[in-house]
Amino acid sequence: MNDVVNSSSGSTGTIHAAGVSIKDLRKSYGSNEVLKGISLDVAPGEVVCLIGPSGSGKSTLLRCVNLLEQPNEGAIHVGGFEATDPDVDIDKMRRKVGMVFQQFNLFPHLNATANCTIAQTKVLKRSQEEADKVARHNLERVGLGHLADRFPDQLSGGQQQRVAIARALSMNPELMLFDEPTSALDPETVGDVLSVMRNLAKEGMTMLVVTHEMGFAREVADRVVFMDGGVVVEEGVAEQVISAPTQARTKEFLRRVLDPTHIEIQE
Amino acid sequence: MAMTARQRARVSLYIQIGIFVVAVAALVLAIDWKTVGNSVFNFAKIGPMFPDIFLVGLKNTLIYTFLGFVVGLSGGLLLALMKLSAFPLYRWIATGYIEFFRGVPALLVFIAFGYGVPLAFGVQWNVTLIVMISLGMVASAYIAETLRAGLQAVPKGQLEAARSLGMPQWRAMVSIVIPQAFKIVLPPLTNEVILLTKDSSLIYVLGLTASQYELTKFGRDGISSLGAGLTPLLVAGAFYLVITIPLSLLARKFESRSARTKR
Repeated sequence: MNDVVNSSSGSTGTIHAAGVSIKDLRKSYGSNEVLKGISLDVAPGEVVCLIGPSGSGKSTLLRCVNLLEQPNEGAIHVGGFEATDPDVDIDKMRRKVGMVFQQFNLFPHLNATANCTIAQTKVLKRSQEEADKVARHNLERVGLGHLADRFPDQLSGGQQQRVAIARALSMNPELMLFDEPTSALDPETVGDVLSVMRNLAKEGMTMLVVTHEMGFAREVADRVVFMDGGVVVEEGVAEQVISAPTQARTKEFLRRVLDPTHIEIQE
Repeated sequence: MAMTARQRARVSLYIQIGIFVVAVAALVLAIDWKTVGNSVFNFAKIGPMFPDIFLVGLKNTLIYTFLGFVVGLSGGLLLALMKLSAFPLYRWIATGYIEFFRGVPALLVFIAFGYGVPLAFGVQWNVTLIVMISLGMVASAYIAETLRAGLQAVPKGQLEAARSLGMPQWRAMVSIVIPQAFKIVLPPLTNEVILLTKDSSLIYVLGLTASQYELTKFGRDGISSLGAGLTPLLVAGAFYLVITIPLSLLARKFESRSARTKR
């Protein structure tokens, strides 16, 4: 690949989006089977939201895609890589896959800029100067150019999560994984993080998002996948799954999530 | 007559003070002050200890401690990583090493490397090398446990985030996990240096030339040459405090700093 074009893509915002293909994926912890044969395809540039009750396996599924969890059976293809091939170069594959965690996991001993540059210089072998340029561009992209020198403990939760997104984007990923990115945030900072993700979706990034934000899913996702008990119960166009679900379990889940104060009155 | 809680507390305090005063008085009366003055606090005769106690004793103590710490820190880091390894053989070796060297007296280690190894291998090591290895091997066992605890105190998400950015395991450890672990272990590590400073005195069991004397050996030498009784040892002891008390203060400062930055 042409390195000059590739490295400058960070500053122009051009995204080479990759797709994901998951086939019959199974994952157990001891005798507890968490994923019971999941198949899911995400096209390049597509945004897919994974929804479902806690313990349904959606985070485990996401973590299998970049091999933070080792699947027991099945196949995963990410871009040009077969993640489930025992001989796959995991580190090379992960460069293409950005990951955003519920708890941010920023590096506390590095400031916002250095959080965004360390993997660029150590993994992609970019010069410090170029890495700084890419970091600055991506911090501006998430609206934090003015806080580039702050350390993580000097930032709010929402700001930390946006730095975490900028850190992932600085590697020029072709796919972004979000594991409940707003679940640990104060309500008033959720909107900033979601709007960053919305812009990213508009720019054409492939995104796989585990979330409880139904408004975001309905507005931004191309498709919504409802998981429960380690299987995909229902999937389809976002608007259709959220507004007019066909499965009883989906209806029950959405009723609880969309109206958490709803109380059954029994007489 | 019943007493109130406050009265009882006051009586109890008076009794404690009374016991303390009686104990100190008994100790003072029991001491043979004339002999003590001649053979422990005889500062009139210690002039010849200066300035060599700085140029030889203090200098060598600092050098031996520093060399022991450098070996101990590198060995300790290696052992800590081995102990956290996924590979069982590494864990067994590290555990065996740590338990052995924490379990035997440091004095025996000095004797083993000072006399045993030269006999066994027919080699003659110089004192600096012996002290570096003996002190370093003992220190690495203690430092390994400290570092292991520090490495485990770094949240698992840090390693996951680093690996997710495409860093290989070793790079994630070097650039992300180990720097954070060191910050956590700075206070206990400073305490290890204090222990090492004192353990460096054990080299007295080896045959040293005068220029190799560290503080304790220097003090013992003064006992036989100055005719001031144990006074030179008292002076040497004071020099240890000059090293260890600032280190203690430093450890406390590190501790309060890390407590402040903790969220």
